[in-house]
Amino acid sequence: MDTIFEFLFKYRLLLFQEGDFTFASPWPVLLVLGGVAVVTLPALLTYRAARGASSRWDRGVMAALRLGLVAILVFILFRPTLILTSVVPQRNFVGILIDDSQSMRITDQDGVARSDFVQATFGSEGSELLTALEEKFTLRFFRFSRDASRLNDMADLSYSGTATNLGNAMVRAQEELAGVPISGLVVFSDGADNSGEVLAESLLPLQAAGIPVYTVGLGEEELTPDVQISRVEMPRTVLAGTSLVVDVIVSHRGYSGRTVQLVVEDTGLLLASEDVTFERDGEPVVVRVRIQAQDAGPRLLRFRVSIQPGERVTENNVRDVLVNVVSDAEKILYFEGEPRWEVKFLRRAVSEDENLQVVLLQRTAEGKFLRLDVDNAEELAAGFPKTREELFRYRALILGSVEASFFTHDQLDMIADFVSRRGGGLLFLGGRNAFAEGGYQGTRLAEVLPVFLDDELSSGVGPYFDELFITPTRAGLTHPATQLGADNSEAVVERWEALPSVTTLNPITRLKPGATSLLTGGTEEDRERQVVLAFHRYGRGKVVVLPIQDSWIWQMHADIPLEDQTHETFWRQLLRWLTDGVPEQVGAQTERELVEPGQPVNILVEVGDSAYAAVNNANVVAVVRDPSGDSMTITLEWDVEQDGQYGGRFLTTSPGLYEVSILASRGGDTIGTAVTYVEAAPSADEYFDASMRGTTLRRIADQTGGLFYTPENVATLAEDISFTGAGVTLTEERDLWDMPILLFLVLGLMAGEWGYRRKRSLI
Amino acid sequence: MRVLPSSVGAAAGAIALIVLLGSPPARTDATTPSDATNTESSAPLPKAQARFLSSTGVSEALGALRAPIEAGVGAESRADAAQILTIGIPHEFYFSRVAYSGFGGFYGRGGSWRTDYPRADEIFLSFIDRLLPNLDAYLSEFVVFLDDPDLRRFPFLYALEVGRMALRPAEIEGLRGYLLQGGFLVIDDFWGTREWANFEYEIQQVLPGYEIEDLPIDHNIFTTFYEIDEVIQVPNIGIRNCTAFSQADLSRCPTWERDGFIPMVKGIHDEKGRLMVIINWNTDLGDAWEWADDPYYPFVYSKYAYEMGVNFIVYAMSH
Repeated sequence: MDTIFEFLFKYRLLLFQEGDFTFASPWPVLLVLGGVAVVTLPALLTYRAARGASSRWDRGVMAALRLGLVAILVFILFRPTLILTSVVPQRNFVGILIDDSQSMRITDQDGVARSDFVQATFGSEGSELLTALEEKFTLRFFRFSRDASRLNDMADLSYSGTATNLGNAMVRAQEELAGVPISGLVVFSDGADNSGEVLAESLLPLQAAGIPVYTVGLGEEELTPDVQISRVEMPRTVLAGTSLVVDVIVSHRGYSGRTVQLVVEDTGLLLASEDVTFERDGEPVVVRVRIQAQDAGPRLLRFRVSIQPGERVTENNVRDVLVNVVSDAEKILYFEGEPRWEVKFLRRAVSEDENLQVVLLQRTAEGKFLRLDVDNAEELAAGFPKTREELFRYRALILGSVEASFFTHDQLDMIADFVSRRGGGLLFLGGRNAFAEGGYQGTRLAEVLPVFLDDELSSGVGPYFDELFITPTRAGLTHPATQLGADNSEAVVERWEALPSVTTLNPITRLKPGATSLLTGGTEEDRERQVVLAFHRYGRGKVVVLPIQDSWIWQMHADIPLEDQTHETFWRQLLRWLTDGVPEQVGAQTERELVEPGQPVNILVEVGDSAYAAVNNANVVAVVRDPSGDSMTITLEWDVEQDGQYGGRFLTTSPGLYEVSILASRGGDTIGTAVTYVEAAPSADEYFDASMRGTTLRRIADQTGGLFYTPENVATLAEDISFTGAGVTLTEERDLWDMPILLFLVLGLMAGEWGYRRKRSLI
Repeated sequence: MRVLPSSVGAAAGAIALIVLLGSPPARTDATTPSDATNTESSAPLPKAQARFLSSTGVSEALGALRAPIEAGVGAESRADAAQILTIGIPHEFYFSRVAYSGFGGFYGRGGSWRTDYPRADEIFLSFIDRLLPNLDAYLSEFVVFLDDPDLRRFPFLYALEVGRMALRPAEIEGLRGYLLQGGFLVIDDFWGTREWANFEYEIQQVLPGYEIEDLPIDHNIFTTFYEIDEVIQVPNIGIRNCTAFSQADLSRCPTWERDGFIPMVKGIHDEKGRLMVIINWNTDLGDAWEWADDPYYPFVYSKYAYEMGVNFIVYAMSH
C-alpha cells in the first residue's frame, strides 16, 4: 500500500503528514485566474453553441470533464510544493537503546531469537539500516535491562538481564545525551517491561524535551503454544497449621481442552496438586489450591505446571513464593453474656490449637464474670475492657449473646474502633441477646455489621426461632474458613450438607453492599433463606457474623461419630481466618519478597501506639541478617507524607534468605518488634508475559511523537527520523507538480471525454 | 426422644418398679423402663411436637415452631417433661435427670433414679432461676434415658443413688459416647463402700481405663462461681427429726448413712484432662436442694448444696 502511494504521489505518506503544503506559483494569482477565465469561458460557450445531436446531459458531462482537465492544469501552474523540515545530516545524535534482558533470547515462531535481529542489524557485518542511520546521524548505543548503560561494542550484549525497565532506560539515555542535539531515541525491545514502574512518568521528560522515541518491537505479540503461571495470590504471613486456599492464575495459549497438573512444593516436599483444564484459548484459569502451612519460619513455596510438548517458553511454568509461617498464639477475647453451651464447645474446639488463645469473659450473673485462660490475675479483672489500650491487646473479639445496653456508648465506639482503626477481627455470634434481639439496631455496632438488622422477621410479636440446614455459598466453596478440611469444592458442599441442622433466634437475611456470604441456611430443600456466615471489611479489619446459637450440635449430635473433627476444624479455621492479617503495633514488610542478588530491598514499617494511633517520632531500627549470618543495622526514616510509616533500604549481596528484624521505640520504651524475610535468588521474571508488547511500544511512540516499527517495516527508520525527529533541522521544498498521479488524472479525463463521445456517437 | 413426663410418671414408675422387682432380666428385657416409657409418653403428644425431639424429624416439627411462639413461660414451666422441646423455643439448659436401669426399689416410689423426683428438681430449678438469672434454663423437671440417641442434645446429666445402678449394654454405650463427646455427668447421693463398689463397677463398664480421682479443693469446679473452701457432708432430710429436737445443735445430729462417714468429691477426666464426671459420694445434695424451704432442714447444708449445684452448671457450660 505504501509503495503504491509512493509511486503515485512521488513521496511517502509520512512526508505528507509531516510537511506543509503550499503553492509556489511565480505568477500573481489574479493573472492566473484571468488566464483561466479566458480559456474557460470560450470553451463553455463553444459547448453551449455546438448542439448537434447532443442532449443537455451530454453537454454537461463533457463540460465537466473538460473543466476538470483545466483545473488540474491550473493546479500544476500554481506549482504545488511540500515544505519539509528535515534534520541536518551528521549534525544530530540518535540514541539506540538495545534490550539486553533474558527475554530477548526467546525464539519466536520463525525460529529466530529476538536478539538475532539486533545482531544482524548492528553486528560487525553491518546492515542497510545501520548504514542509513549512520549517514544521517551520529549514533550512540545503549544497552538496558534493569539498568541502562553505554554500549561501546555489540559483543558486550549478553542478553542475561533479569528485568526490563524501559522507562529508566529512556531517561538514562536522555541524560547521557544531554547537551547535544538529539533527533530521537530508537528502542529495540520486546517491550516486556516488568519493573512495575509507571511508564507515563518516565515519558514526561522526553515529552518536555520534544524528543521522539522510535520503538522497534521484536518478537510475536502472542506466544503460542505456551503455559504460564501468571500469578499466585497468597498472604505473605500465615499462622502455622492454617489451611490456606491459594489462588493460582494459570494462563495458556494453544492448549484448549488440555488438562495439566499444578503442583505445590515446599523444598521438594509435595504439598498439593490440582488438575487444571484449559477451556477457551487464551483465557486464564483461576485454580484454587488448598495447602496447609506447616512448619514455622520462612518457607519458599514452588508452584509448578509440568512442561507441555511444543511449549515456547518453559521457564514461566514455575513460580516461587516466599511465605512467613508464624507460630504466635493469636489472642482472642470471647465475651459472652450468659452461660451457654457454645462457650464450652468453642473452647474445647480450639483448646489444642497452640496458635489460638481464646480468653473467655463470661457474665454468669449480673456483675459477676468468669474469666478463663487469662494471662494474669489483672487481665479483665474489671470486666469488659474500658479503655482502647486494654481492648486493642486482643487480635480478635467474639461477641456472644450480650445485649447492646450492657455496653456504654464509649465501649460500643471502642469495639467499632477495634475493627476500623486497630484492624482486629470481630465475630458476632447468634443468641437471644445478639443482633436486633439484643437491641443493637441504631447503635454504632449496627453500622459495623455486614448485615442489616431491620429484618421484617425480627419485628414479629414474639421471639423468632428457626431450624437451619446449611449449605456453602459460591464464595464459601473456596473460602479458608468454610473448608471443613475438604480437598475440593464438591467435598465442601457434601460436608456442609451432611451436618445436622442448627437453630437460630436471629433472622438475618439481608447483606450490606460489599458483604460476602459464605454459608446460608434454611429448610432442607431451600437452604438459602437466611445468612449463616457472612463478612465484610470495615476500615482496617473485618467483621464476621454467625447468627446461629448452637454450632455445638456439630459436636454432640447423635449422628456425629466420636472421632469426627468437623466442629473443631470449623472453629479453628474460622478463628484463624478471623485473626489473619490483623496488624500489630509494629508491622514490617519489604516491597518485594523475592529479589535478585545485588538488588536493593525497600523496607516499609508501620508504627502505632497501644491505641493504634500512628507514631511519627519513633526510633525505628532494622537489623538485617544476611545468608552468611552477618548483621547490619539500618535506621529507618519517617516517611513525611504518611503518618506512622517509616522506610529504609539495604542492598542484597549474595543469594539466600535475609532476615529483617525491626525494633521500634520511643523515648527508650519499646513500642514493638517485627520480623520479615526476603529471598535473594536469580529471577525468571523475564520469561513471564514475555510476548512482544506492541501496545506498550506503540504508546511510547505515540506519546513522544515517534513511530512504532517491526523488523518488517523498519527499513525506512532513518529517513523517518530525518523528517520527524528533533534536533538541528533545515527546511526544504519538494515539488509536487510532477506527481505521477496528476499525469494519470489528465490522461484519465481526456480518455474519459473521448470515450464518452464515442459511446454517445458524438464524434 | 424418650422422655418421662411427670404426668405419666406414676405409670412409668409402676412399670419401672415391676422391672426392678424382676431384676435379672432387666438388662435384656424389652420392657425396660425406657422402652416402656417411650410407648407411654409419646402416644399422647401432638405429632409435630413428638417428632421435634427425634434426631431425624426436627424439621417437620418446625411448621408449628417457625412462627413466633406465643405460649407463655408460665404454661411452659408447668409442662410435662416430654413437651419441653416442643412448646415454645427450646431452652439452653435442661436439668436432665438420668433414668438409668437399676435394681431394688426405694420406699416403693419406683427405681432409685427417681429419688427426690420431681420435687428436688423443681425446687432446685426455681432457685437456679434466681441464682443464675442469665441462664436460659428450663424450669421444670426433665428425665432422659442413657440409650436415647438424643441424649447428647442435653450436655448436662444428673444421676443419683447410683449404688443401685445396673446399666444395660445400650445404656453403657450411650453414656460412653455422651461423655467422650463432651457431655457432663453429676453423680450424687450414694453412700458407703458397698454402693461405691457398685458404682465403680458400673462406671468402669462405661469408661474402662479411666481413673476416678479425688478433686482437690483448689480445683476450678470449687471456684467457678462460688468460692467453696471445704467439702461438707450434706445429710438427707432425716436430719430434720434431729434438728427439730436439738435446737439446731448440728454437732449432735448424725449426717452419714451406712458407712459413708467422709464426704468426697471425685472426678473422671477424659484423655485431654477435661472433667467428664463429677462424683459426690457420701453426701446428698439432692435432699438439700429439695428441702431448702423446710425450716428444720439446716441452712448450712442447703447453702453448700446450692453453691455446688451452681458451680456444676457454670463449670459444665464453660469447661
